Amino acid sequence: MITGKNITKTFRQRGSVLAGREVRALRGVDFAIEKGGAASFIGESGCGKTTLGRIIAGLETHDSGEITIDGTPMSPLKPRQREPYFRRIQLIHQDPYSALNPTRTIHQTLDAPLALRARQTRRPRSWVDERAEELLALVGLDPAYVLPRYPHQLSGGMRQRVVIARALTVDPDMLVADEAVSMIDVSLRLGILGLLKDLRERLGVSVLFITHDVATARYIGDDGELYVIYRGQVVERGHVETIISDPVHPYTQSLLSAIPVLHGLEQPGEQPVVPTEALDESHHDAGCLFARRCPFRTERCESELPVLGRAEGTPQEHACFHPERRSVVATPIGRG
Amino acid sequence: MSVTPEKKAPGVRVSGLSVVYRTPTGELPAISGIDLDLVPGTITGVVGESGSGKSTLALSLLNAVQSPGRISAGSVEIDGLGDVVKLRGEELRKARGRHIGYVFQAAQNSLNPLKTVGKQLLDLGRSHDVADLRGLVREAKDLLGRMGMDGARVLDSHQHELSGGMRQRVGIMFALVLNAHLVVLDEPTTALDMITQATILRIVREVHEERGLTTLVITHDLGVVAEVADRLAVMYGGQVVEQGPTMEVLGAPRHPYTQGLLRAIPRLVGDIDEARALPGRPPTLGTIPERGCVFRDRCVLRMDVCETEKPPVVSLGASIALCHAVEAAADRDGRADIPPAGGLQEVVGAQGATGVHEVRGEQP
Repeated sequence: MITGKNITKTFRQRGSVLAGREVRALRGVDFAIEKGGAASFIGESGCGKTTLGRIIAGLETHDSGEITIDGTPMSPLKPRQREPYFRRIQLIHQDPYSALNPTRTIHQTLDAPLALRARQTRRPRSWVDERAEELLALVGLDPAYVLPRYPHQLSGGMRQRVVIARALTVDPDMLVADEAVSMIDVSLRLGILGLLKDLRERLGVSVLFITHDVATARYIGDDGELYVIYRGQVVERGHVETIISDPVHPYTQSLLSAIPVLHGLEQPGEQPVVPTEALDESHHDAGCLFARRCPFRTERCESELPVLGRAEGTPQEHACFHPERRSVVATPIGRG
Repeated sequence: MSVTPEKKAPGVRVSGLSVVYRTPTGELPAISGIDLDLVPGTITGVVGESGSGKSTLALSLLNAVQSPGRISAGSVEIDGLGDVVKLRGEELRKARGRHIGYVFQAAQNSLNPLKTVGKQLLDLGRSHDVADLRGLVREAKDLLGRMGMDGARVLDSHQHELSGGMRQRVGIMFALVLNAHLVVLDEPTTALDMITQATILRIVREVHEERGLTTLVITHDLGVVAEVADRLAVMYGGQVVEQGPTMEVLGAPRHPYTQGLLRAIPRLVGDIDEARALPGRPPTLGTIPERGCVFRDRCVLRMDVCETEKPPVVSLGASIALCHAVEAAADRDGRADIPPAGGLQEVVGAQGATGVHEVRGEQP
């Protein structure tokens, strides 16, 4: 189990033009991911979701707040002491084409971490090859076909499976998948999503899924928790199906409204929400971060910052003074 | 110029178009024998996965296929221009931009980082012998304003000062400013966020209607074409396997690939378990079968004839599919609802857990 309390992160830009400009990537984010659980962070690019994922994977530092892994707070530990904790959280990133060393066969790619693992756990050398085959079979690949090959001989989907197999060599507790299917061919995406779901069920690995495509978040498990992040703040949080079917925050609603409708198969939602203007990261108002783009803003929104909670008795948490259910998602046309 | 400018939405007729790429193992076909009509005033969407040949098709419209590729057969007839495949040199250069506007994939990388947008606009005007450069700037400002931007400010900006969505709109402005009436957009929204994507697609639609264009949108994202296109062409392995009005192709897909692709898209509503990945993987340049159907390795309806015979062109209503199974079904019941929906599901479902799908069909 991993939890975060009030995580903040500010990037200071360097270089002549932008020197001194600050970008507040995370503005006090709380999260909790159960062992074997699933969570998804969604939002536009620059919202902080990738930064948060990297902090959770131990690849990025944060300015304040506390990360706790299996009950142990990380901040008092020295970097070396944190290592064993973060090793159990593996990041799978967007581009399987650059994640694998092109000069190594898949056998070589898996051999190195497994050999280390064998030494650590005092297993015989023969275990390494067995385990490599086992892991490839687990991710749905044929070891005999894949092992002797180089990355360029595999499709994007197969490469992403190899990347997942490599992440599994250290027996992780959690996989952080950052846009893990956005570069995969459309016809193969569900295969990767299904695999992540499958690994949760079979190995009890928890999965953190980071994406801008809300629909994919459903496919790693219907018990998943969804975090909608806007400009470094969680604006809506709850059960994935609840948020997709009954979103109450206007930002979530505009994200869902923006998803293309498959005309002929679906009809558009009845109350689509379109932001009144484009995202402008530079403005700093006292009030709600989304207020300036929100079609439903009131005076209160412009002066007071809403905090995440269950005000107005909604099943999910939200950060909005005027939460209201709107029908924004396209519905399938009944076949008849 | 030897061609007279045609200021109405032109029609485009692609027929028998083939493009081959020279490789150490011989010339390999990237697209072969494509027939596709762009109806004047419509938006046509071409959708395909990587390696389907969709970008090669788009480049062929400009006769801009780069070596080692070449157009080996067929023609691209554009109203007011003639057969683009036969155009050479200066004629071709003038046609690009003035007749055919092209919005490149990743517009952020197609702008010059060292020059302001305005300077690049003047370069464009000079290279096309525009006499009235002030008029050109005015037109550009109008277009940018139309797309919700402050034209004067954008023309004074370098590309790094613009967001991804803004650059994409600048790309659209460049494609339209010389008054081209045939516009090709290659992956217009890739790398953009959902909300920005929705904005760009709305702008594409509006500008298309206001200016009376013929528009071709190339994308890997079925959602994008579903949102903007009147007509849809589905490409696979260098061929258009199904085409027709968007509503019809999506509402009643005939080709097994279109059906599989639709089922493979993660959706916001509906039963999660109904969605599944297509088994196998898309063919690449070297693995497109020479004979028979290009899709047969991943097809649930494969028959013996698919191995050897090129699939027939089957017309059904307003749409066309290239498929033996569709033809067989059409012959059987005089119409082609292949097969009963439940039946197909069972066949696909019988392939077991999602995890093992991808290995199939690619063993040597």
